[in-house]
Amino acid sequence: MFKFLRRFLKEEVDETSRLQEQFGHFRRLLTENNQALEIMADMEEKLSGEFLFDTGYLETQAERLVTSVSGMVGELDLLTEGRYAELTAICQGLAQEIGRELAAVPIIPETPFILSLSSLNRELAPAVGSKMANLGEIGNRIGLPVPQGFAITASAYKRFLEGANLTGELEARLSQAPIHDLESLETVSQEIQDLIRRAPVPPDLEDALRRAAQNLPTPWLAVRSSAVGEDTEFSFAGQFATLLNVDAAGLPEHYKEIIASKFTSRAIFYWKYQQFSVNELPMAVGVLAMVPARASGVMFSQDPHAPHNETVLITSVWGLGKYAVDGTISPDLYVISRKEGHAIKQRRVTEKPVALACQAAGGVAPVTLPAKQAAAPSLTDVQARTLTEIALLLEEHFGGPQDIEWTVGEAGNIVILQSRPLRVSTPSFAAAPRERSAEPAVPPLLTFGIRAVGGAAAGRVHLFLHDEDVAGIPPGAVVVAKQPSARLVLAMDRIAAIITEVGSPTDHMTILAREFRIPTLVDVGGATRVLTPGQIVTVDADAARVYPGIVTELLDRQPETDENLRNSSVFQKLRRILKLTSPLNLLDPENSDFRADKCQTLHDLTRFCHEKAMDAMFTPDVERALESSRISRLATDLPLNLFILDLGGGLKVSGQETVTEEDIVSRPFKALLRGFHHPGVSWAGQVAPDLKGFISVFANTMYDMNKGERGLGGKSFAIVTDSYLNFNSRLGYHFGLVDAYISEERNDNYISFQFKGGAAAVQRRERRARLLKQILDEMGFKAQAKGDLVQGRLVKYSQLETEGIMEMAGLLMAFCRQLDLALSSENVLERCLDAFKKEDYSLKCLRPEEATS
Amino acid sequence: MPERILVVDDEPNMLRLLKTILMDKTGYEVTTTNNPLEVSKLLQEAHYHLVISDLKMPLVDGMDLIDIIKKLEPGLPIIIITAYGTIETAEEAIQKGAYDFITKPFRKETILITIRRALEWKRMQGELAALKKQ
Repeated sequence: MFKFLRRFLKEEVDETSRLQEQFGHFRRLLTENNQALEIMADMEEKLSGEFLFDTGYLETQAERLVTSVSGMVGELDLLTEGRYAELTAICQGLAQEIGRELAAVPIIPETPFILSLSSLNRELAPAVGSKMANLGEIGNRIGLPVPQGFAITASAYKRFLEGANLTGELEARLSQAPIHDLESLETVSQEIQDLIRRAPVPPDLEDALRRAAQNLPTPWLAVRSSAVGEDTEFSFAGQFATLLNVDAAGLPEHYKEIIASKFTSRAIFYWKYQQFSVNELPMAVGVLAMVPARASGVMFSQDPHAPHNETVLITSVWGLGKYAVDGTISPDLYVISRKEGHAIKQRRVTEKPVALACQAAGGVAPVTLPAKQAAAPSLTDVQARTLTEIALLLEEHFGGPQDIEWTVGEAGNIVILQSRPLRVSTPSFAAAPRERSAEPAVPPLLTFGIRAVGGAAAGRVHLFLHDEDVAGIPPGAVVVAKQPSARLVLAMDRIAAIITEVGSPTDHMTILAREFRIPTLVDVGGATRVLTPGQIVTVDADAARVYPGIVTELLDRQPETDENLRNSSVFQKLRRILKLTSPLNLLDPENSDFRADKCQTLHDLTRFCHEKAMDAMFTPDVERALESSRISRLATDLPLNLFILDLGGGLKVSGQETVTEEDIVSRPFKALLRGFHHPGVSWAGQVAPDLKGFISVFANTMYDMNKGERGLGGKSFAIVTDSYLNFNSRLGYHFGLVDAYISEERNDNYISFQFKGGAAAVQRRERRARLLKQILDEMGFKAQAKGDLVQGRLVKYSQLETEGIMEMAGLLMAFCRQLDLALSSENVLERCLDAFKKEDYSLKCLRPEEATS
Repeated sequence: MPERILVVDDEPNMLRLLKTILMDKTGYEVTTTNNPLEVSKLLQEAHYHLVISDLKMPLVDGMDLIDIIKKLEPGLPIIIITAYGTIETAEEAIQKGAYDFITKPFRKETILITIRRALEWKRMQGELAALKKQ
């Protein structure tokens, strides 16, 4: 009784304000949830390889995402009075990890300073740069002749900068350098290059360089840069020095020269303004035994401007290859068929009056050639065909057209110096995967829906109606479901495509499907009826169409995968951030692992907070709510004693003791009442007449009921806003509860439904719970029955659909209210289920003789 | 002769991706630089048909570049790349004389279409000028 005294004694601290505050937390949590899911979906979409984005994008999105998720955690904390306090630490931990990923720079692998070319392969690119790594691959894995040599690793670069105290010095200079125009930038670049040339090579590194050089068969070397990291190579490459025919004894000096060449004005600009350490773009150096060349050149394994010609292009000059590319002379050109036999389609032999040649005393110089040699072809046809075969071999091994540097030694032996991807131009805009030329000839089965994950796929239809059936999904299935289910993630490695009747591009399932790149169509109403199990269909998610059979032209038109994009550092960063973000480990709220401490990703946190917030709203402290001074009674012809507390916008009027159904604005409440008013429903039983009686019943029963059930007696109590309803109803011995949110924002919409109690024997009450579960399942709820308690939740249907289902929920509450007494056998249960499905709510089914007559 | 495009962005990763896409999908010749300070020098050294530039760069940003380029070569179209949520600045860039802007992140096709339109505009300007001379 103290509560009643308190109610009269305390100041006007209105319970309504407290509930309004609660609802405010809930509302904000929903908003942050949508925001977070949208950001996650947006970031996942960028993984498709169709977009270009930069680190600025990653930083902005990651920050927004973390803000939204920590906002959810904060609101849940307030909503539940600190019940899930551990979430804050989990969220902060993830935010820190994401911050670390954003700031991460590639680590310089720990290797010896020197790695012999004979030990190199592609995988060692982070240590020796892609140029040397590829050359190692060519010699060791393809078995083609390459010069002898070694790489001076990125680890050596780090040792050089640190050992010579250059790191600090360079960074200080970079930060202080007065740069305001190109000239000042170039001055700084020159100063830094001089600084590097003057710095001593640390003794251990110098010793390693000298010993490695001595082990080569010739005292003359080619020393060239081998940039580490694709971006470096692309942005600053071509400007780095290459030294030809230099002495082995001077290698430490040559090494410094190459390192210095890296500090171009572009590189300086990058370091100064991107706030990175000079260690971030390490430079590896390749050292090769100089091959005195008879002839050299470049070849393309395909004609970059006319790939369809099926030819290999070879340019060739006498002597070293530099003149073949720098325009000093016009090189010989061979156009050779890629096809068996390698017919020479064109042989253009030019006048080549000079050649670049190695000098006996070191270095290279132009040499004038005798007229006869100048006019002669620099390659034999046999050599040209051998080169063609090599080009095709390299293309096959590296999986794409190649741009190859080669040389022919004094003895006529071919040696490969470099191979890198050749960019082959396509006629402009040839590849536009999204533009469709014509519809497939076969008429589609379904022509609507929302593209949640793009692409096309074919497979057998598998109807997925219950979450627990996920293990039964066969490989290659086109999964067709009523609702999106995050549990599908357990089968996503074997699913071909997903179609759901409801859903949105930002729900949990879609975010996961995007990660697995499964073509997914959502909001395809009627899909579970139109498509039949076992039927083979082709899903074109891009066009939102489903065709019967296998439509090969759709499957062939898959978007190309762009390896360059996928291998780029910013893309890899996105991928790592998404690993901390997207995977969903909390799949099933009923599972014992659905706990705060099991949240491992931001997605887990959003899922958990959303679910627990709905739970918190589901069972408000009715006892406290009843203390509110602003409760109105609903005047209705329904045999219900119904009281309403409006938290904002739920009623047209305020402060009235009695309101009518006309006054109700709340969308979910109106829908529920429509269900109650269904003409087929037969209401029965007496209800107490007024608020006075209501409070006395409450007082009498509060000690023998569970909290939450307490306080209602024979009354119903609705807490409402314009889009929200929490409806508690105690009708006789039955306890019903509906909590719902219905708005234009599909992701926010849900209905939670609970029903329990009754006066009948346990067996009959359980039977009713099972009946209710089956009906709720049919309606699209995820429902469980435990003893006489049945609970179900339905989420993310559109406003219109949720309103319709809410109406059905009202109807169901009325329909099953007294059923427990009547459910004497499984047969009766079946008849009731059948009647409900046939929209017969009169309960005549309980009297079979009437029902059949 | 293939059309030549100069791309300016202080982030090398973006430069690499743009260059790769342009070269894979088109016959254009592409020069890139992460250093906006050298744009005038590059424009004086070679003839370009189009400049694509990031908006936000240190020392010389995309806005400054529009002024610099307009002085050097008034008829050269400029496409500005802006970050999401900076539409006002993008509109300012158009007022200053940029041909168009594109918001990051963007689809590969979107940049290709924007480039094609800019180059067509440049061609038409050239033809118009030639007609006027006649």
